[in-house]
Amino acid sequence: MRKSWFTLIAGCMVLAVMLGGCSGTQAGSKEATNEAAHETPQESPQELVYAAAKDLIDMNPHVYAGSNSAQGMVYESLVEHTEEGIKPLLAESWEISGDGKSYTFHLRKDVNFHDGEPFNAEAVKLNIDAVQRNAKKHAWIKLSTKLTDVLVIDTHTVELVLSEPYYPTLNELSFTRPYVFVSPRNFIDGETKDGLNGYSGTGPYKLVEHKVDQQAVFEANEAYWGGSPAIKKITGKVLPAGETTFLALQKGEVNFVFTDDRGTDSIDVDAMTNLTDAGDYQIVRSKPMNTKMIVANSSQTNSPVHERAVRQAIWQAIDRETISKQIFSGTEPAAYTLFSSNVKYADVDLPQRGYDPEAARKLLEEAGWKLANGQEVRTKNGSKLTMKLYYDANSSSQKTQAEFIQHELKEIGMRLELVGEESTSVAKRRSAGDYELLFNQTWGLAYDPQSTIAAFTSESSYLHTTKGIARADELYDKIADVTVSMDETTRKSLYADILNIVHEEAVFIPLTNGGVTIVAPQSLQGIGFKQTQYELPFEKMNFNP
Amino acid sequence: MNMLKQILKDRLAGVSLFIVAITIAAGAFAPWLAPHDPNHIHMELRYAGPSWDFPLGNDHLGRDVLSRLIFGIRPSVLYVFAALLASVCMGAIVGFIAGYFRGRTDAVLMRVVDAMLSFPGYVLTLALIGMLGVGLENILIAFVLSKWAWFARIIRTSVMQIAETDYIKYSKTIGVGHLSIMARHIVPVSLPDIAVIASSAFGSMVLQISGFSFLGLGIQAPHAEWGMMLNEARTVMFSKPELMLAPGLTIILVVSAINFLSDALQGALDPKLMSSKAKFQARTAVSAARLQGKEVA
Repeated sequence: MRKSWFTLIAGCMVLAVMLGGCSGTQAGSKEATNEAAHETPQESPQELVYAAAKDLIDMNPHVYAGSNSAQGMVYESLVEHTEEGIKPLLAESWEISGDGKSYTFHLRKDVNFHDGEPFNAEAVKLNIDAVQRNAKKHAWIKLSTKLTDVLVIDTHTVELVLSEPYYPTLNELSFTRPYVFVSPRNFIDGETKDGLNGYSGTGPYKLVEHKVDQQAVFEANEAYWGGSPAIKKITGKVLPAGETTFLALQKGEVNFVFTDDRGTDSIDVDAMTNLTDAGDYQIVRSKPMNTKMIVANSSQTNSPVHERAVRQAIWQAIDRETISKQIFSGTEPAAYTLFSSNVKYADVDLPQRGYDPEAARKLLEEAGWKLANGQEVRTKNGSKLTMKLYYDANSSSQKTQAEFIQHELKEIGMRLELVGEESTSVAKRRSAGDYELLFNQTWGLAYDPQSTIAAFTSESSYLHTTKGIARADELYDKIADVTVSMDETTRKSLYADILNIVHEEAVFIPLTNGGVTIVAPQSLQGIGFKQTQYELPFEKMNFNP
Repeated sequence: MNMLKQILKDRLAGVSLFIVAITIAAGAFAPWLAPHDPNHIHMELRYAGPSWDFPLGNDHLGRDVLSRLIFGIRPSVLYVFAALLASVCMGAIVGFIAGYFRGRTDAVLMRVVDAMLSFPGYVLTLALIGMLGVGLENILIAFVLSKWAWFARIIRTSVMQIAETDYIKYSKTIGVGHLSIMARHIVPVSLPDIAVIASSAFGSMVLQISGFSFLGLGIQAPHAEWGMMLNEARTVMFSKPELMLAPGLTIILVVSAINFLSDALQGALDPKLMSSKAKFQARTAVSAARLQGKEVA
């Protein structure tokens, strides 16, 4: 008996030592990895290895399955969206006709595709025509519905003809897709919609290797018209988000991480701080670029979310300051409107609707949602006030927010069921309208507000969100008007009306203003951002010698 | 009572029994024992360390870890126990019928059992969750549906041995009804066997439900469950490793206690095993190996 007691106690002690050892070895391994990480950049100072939660899937930029950031490295558009406005990229200059229906671009003359094919007016026409033949896919980008003809004027001049004036034309031509250029030699039977036989663009990097769900390797395009980029090789490794990525960073297996296309930071804020404290990494955050929000599906007529009062109550029940301060450690400011006021045309006077659970309760009471004695969930005509909220299972911050919001809504008598899914499946729900509430974000400075608003009418984006509101027809009319209006003041007032309607209807419930976060080696310089959350200017980065 | 005395002779078993009893009592009286509401959120206490008010600290939403552990006993242990009882009952009914009546009934029932047993347990459970959807109830249903066959098979063997004995034959001869033979002569004798196999399955079921919740297939937020608490702590594994300790150690402790208790029970019910210490230890090793084998399956 005595002996078995001894064994038990000894066993416990061994266990305790092992557990203690865990934290000890962690500290020890941190030092070890310091050295390792120092070595990695020295051995191969010109290489970046970034972690991605998903494979790049498809490099064809004329459809939408693939990874934006990878496509952004390989392909280029005619013009570029910068902080100072639209700047030349593949087009050196352009003229817009007086009636706003014709755009003439003068192309750069020194540009070749990665496969050696020259970039010229003919290539532009082939590419744009191929995109236009697949117009259904591009309904969200209104230019695709107005573009009638692409005319080759001479080798390096091309004219786009529109059916009616459309002011965001240059904006939409600057997007990562679909109006970017693939070598015509990669087309299959003159088309791009069914795939490509190669991925030659004009951009600073070319894709040299792609192993599905493992990695993609990009090498510098030595013949790049803007000069060969300093970082010669970039590898994207597919790694599960969270601790795996964190460990990989510590070991030096990857040395670069950024917020992905769908707004997911793969590493939690505290862990990131741990990394920078060790001295090998730096964190760079962009200015706020978008608004993270909950999208309410107003067209679900048999769900409470169809009711405006319910949506407004959700809006008022969420304490954004706490989300910003506690969950994001102050890195993302709280948002109270769909677009922050620094977005063009979005500096509109909207009625204040802040955190006010009392007002939320009142709204629900007035709408007939009553709380019976001893009950936790309000009911109306026998149906319960419950809804489902979908979040990206890879995003720990979305899960935490979801649980926090679930708790706050419970306080006002609303039950929220949380469903975590893969981001692709959440995106599918959005386009199919198969949801009540889901996490989403506006598309970033280059797209806000004109394209995001145009997407209110597009089935693949926010049509289901906006379709069920009382003033839907009025909203769609105004959206149709605003894009063709030539006059700045009418445009402003139309945008003000549109923003007022969606604010009033509370179909987009803003949470915080998010941006892009990069974790990069300490010696990496020139880290910058584009006007979109979808890609990064790798060609401008270089390692400290 | 005699059995209890036997068990308490072994101190390890006594400690195990104590732990299991405390756990079950704590789960049953969770609302009175837990110092806080397990789902109440204090965002300002996010990841706070242990304090007088919150002895085990707070999780990623500032909820009290201790209260969540206590409320977590319900799905992790109590509901699993209920599912275990249900599947043992199902298994016992089938086992009794097959073992007592033999012949064609036995053949048909055992082929059904064979069919059930030919699927690996985890795969069957996952398939059922796939059909029924995620959630604790569905996992419990899946447990009942996938585990009864194993119990049926073992109980049948035990019943067959008893049914061969002379006093059963005699009862049959003097014309006692089947039901009353089973109820009065077979159930009391086979009950210890059933208790042993049920208790040895209990530990692995607790582990399994924690596993499924860890994967997000079990109980849904905001309700507390040990496996889910581990999963929540996982996201901050490197910045706050201490959060994994509380649920992790609790699972280890409770599952070990259940397994030790199950071994002691086996020993107590089979005096032959108690006679020699060496044999008992050999038996423990065998049952540990058996358990591991099950985990792999």
